[in-house]
Amino acid sequence: MAQYDYVEKAVQVSRREFIGIVGVAGAILWTGAYLATDLIQDRTKYIKMRAQGIYKDDVKSKIRQSHNNQAVTDVYKKFARNPLSPLAEELFHTKYVDRTKLV
Amino acid sequence: MRHQEEHSPRVLKHPLISRLFHWGLILGFLPAAITGFFIWLKPFGEDLQNVIMQIHIVGACILTLSCICYTIFALDRIVIFIRRILTWDSQDIAWMKIGGGYPQKMLLGKTIPVPPTGKMNPGQKQMGIMMLFGGIFLIVTGWALYAFLPVAPKLVMYWFDMIHLAVGLILGVSVFGHIFMAIYNWGEFLCMFGDGTQLLSEAKHHNPVWVENEIILVKTDESVPVTGQHHVA
Repeated sequence: MAQYDYVEKAVQVSRREFIGIVGVAGAILWTGAYLATDLIQDRTKYIKMRAQGIYKDDVKSKIRQSHNNQAVTDVYKKFARNPLSPLAEELFHTKYVDRTKLV
Repeated sequence: MRHQEEHSPRVLKHPLISRLFHWGLILGFLPAAITGFFIWLKPFGEDLQNVIMQIHIVGACILTLSCICYTIFALDRIVIFIRRILTWDSQDIAWMKIGGGYPQKMLLGKTIPVPPTGKMNPGQKQMGIMMLFGGIFLIVTGWALYAFLPVAPKLVMYWFDMIHLAVGLILGVSVFGHIFMAIYNWGEFLCMFGDGTQLLSEAKHHNPVWVENEIILVKTDESVPVTGQHHVA
């Protein structure tokens, strides 16, 4: 309980000021929401197009599995011996990257 | 409290909602600003830098929520704040030219006449302008960087990062100036971190125009609970 004798006069917010503040806040939110949905829609569109392209290539291909690919079997036969060989691991396998780290 | 002060008239300068918002800024902006410097300079190892980034994000959440709640529940305080920071007259310019008399007082120990000010002096108005517009820039660019970095155009994100860094640096350094001035002006510090009231004589000294024009006597014979700014009897 605070004791005081004087207080500031109540602030009268005019309609113009209210509309101004709501307008600015609305504009920031609307622009942000529009840009965000636009970006996500774009990204989804590109992912779908990429997937369609891969499926189209797959339909056209005679060989559709990597283990039946002549070039791949040649590489293992002449060079990397067999899948999961130390050399194959070193050359072809990717490493785990922790993408939950923020910096 | 000294005996004569106990019976001296007091004025409610900072209502509860404003003091709560100020706490929101302390718990939100301050950790975000300090961790922001570490994120920029990267002085620590990877693990600690990650913890620092998480603190930065939690600080940003508190800051954003505080701003949203204050805008919703204390729109009148926002309006009066914007009115005050955007209203400048020749007295304010004259005040700025002499730095409010603070350099003379601090460095030379001299007290010089200072043009009278309202509730916010021009130095506080300048800080208010920087915090209002800079704060909006920081919040918008910060959340955009957090949420849309992988999907947004790289050039846009680059400039958002630059704006976030530049505005953060300016406001981060300014806030330490604000803290210094708050501790220097001890009565104001006690007012903001106490019950929001100040001796009328002290308010008259620092904010004569405000005392003259913007406050009224509370018509009550007892203490009034501080729950907001609407205690006009």
